[in-house]
Amino acid sequence: MHIPDAFMPIWQGGIYWIIALIFIILALKWARNELTEDKIPMVAVLSAGIFAIQAFNLPVGFGTSGHLVGGALVAILLGSPYAAVFVLTLVLIIQGIIFGDGGLTTMGANILTMGVIGGYIGYYSYQGLYRATKKVYLSAAIAAWLACFIAALACAVMMWLAGTFPLVPGLVAMGTYHALIGIVEGAITAGAIYLLLQARPEFSETVTGVSAA
Amino acid sequence: MKSEQFIVIGLVVAILIGIVAVFAASGDPDGLESTALVVQEQKALFGDTPEEAEIHEEEEGRFAYESPFPDYSMGEDGGKMGELAVIVLGTIIALILALAIGKCAKAKKS
Repeated sequence: MHIPDAFMPIWQGGIYWIIALIFIILALKWARNELTEDKIPMVAVLSAGIFAIQAFNLPVGFGTSGHLVGGALVAILLGSPYAAVFVLTLVLIIQGIIFGDGGLTTMGANILTMGVIGGYIGYYSYQGLYRATKKVYLSAAIAAWLACFIAALACAVMMWLAGTFPLVPGLVAMGTYHALIGIVEGAITAGAIYLLLQARPEFSETVTGVSAA
Repeated sequence: MKSEQFIVIGLVVAILIGIVAVFAASGDPDGLESTALVVQEQKALFGDTPEEAEIHEEEEGRFAYESPFPDYSMGEDGGKMGELAVIVLGTIIALILALAIGKCAKAKKS
């Protein structure tokens, strides 16, 4: 879902950058208030892991592939959508500047779809699903699927505004492919939460909301 | 698990994922690229991606930037070893940058 520079007029990229900067500032404020010493290793490992796994495209059928985005994963584990904005912004900066994966003028748009929308949808749908079902991994998988799917639809709307995709065919194709890629997102998110909680059980408080008052 | 141990194991696992990705990742276009091919009528929504399919990119009024390692490679000469090197490099940069920004921005209370 990394929008390249060629897919968007520069001025539109600029508008998304301005909106993204507001969320980046809020993410830094989150770090100032919530990112305690014990959470920094998790943020670092998630950043490295998400960078690596985003290079791992898995086939999803129909001549298409997809990879984990990870916004829901970060937001659920660290208990805030701003954690997702923090990690995804960092990963997207490295991908864009060093590897040309995702454009520079479109980086704000990519931060908005994958970090902000992915983080918010992932976090709040997980919270709702977990309260209703009390099932951590099922809730995380569905939340991650939704995060991927909704972010893809938002990306399709941006591509329509950019004049790159027509609205309905863009929404249909983006929706179809990311409904499939979302299955990858959901499965890996649930699996990664399981493994990371084995290594750092103290984060289960954030995930199950026991003491996250 | 201690923090240092967690960071080291986490980095090793991330690098291993990256190494497997170099050899096993699918070369098919991603969801956004596939959609571009569909709307440009080069690919059917539920069909395979044709070998010769190529995304037409607008150039006028668009920003262009040549990154040091485009497509996670060192170019034709670098081969698989080049791809391995850059994915490991990127993973380590991601870890160090997160640690550094985390330390700078972190909460004062603990």
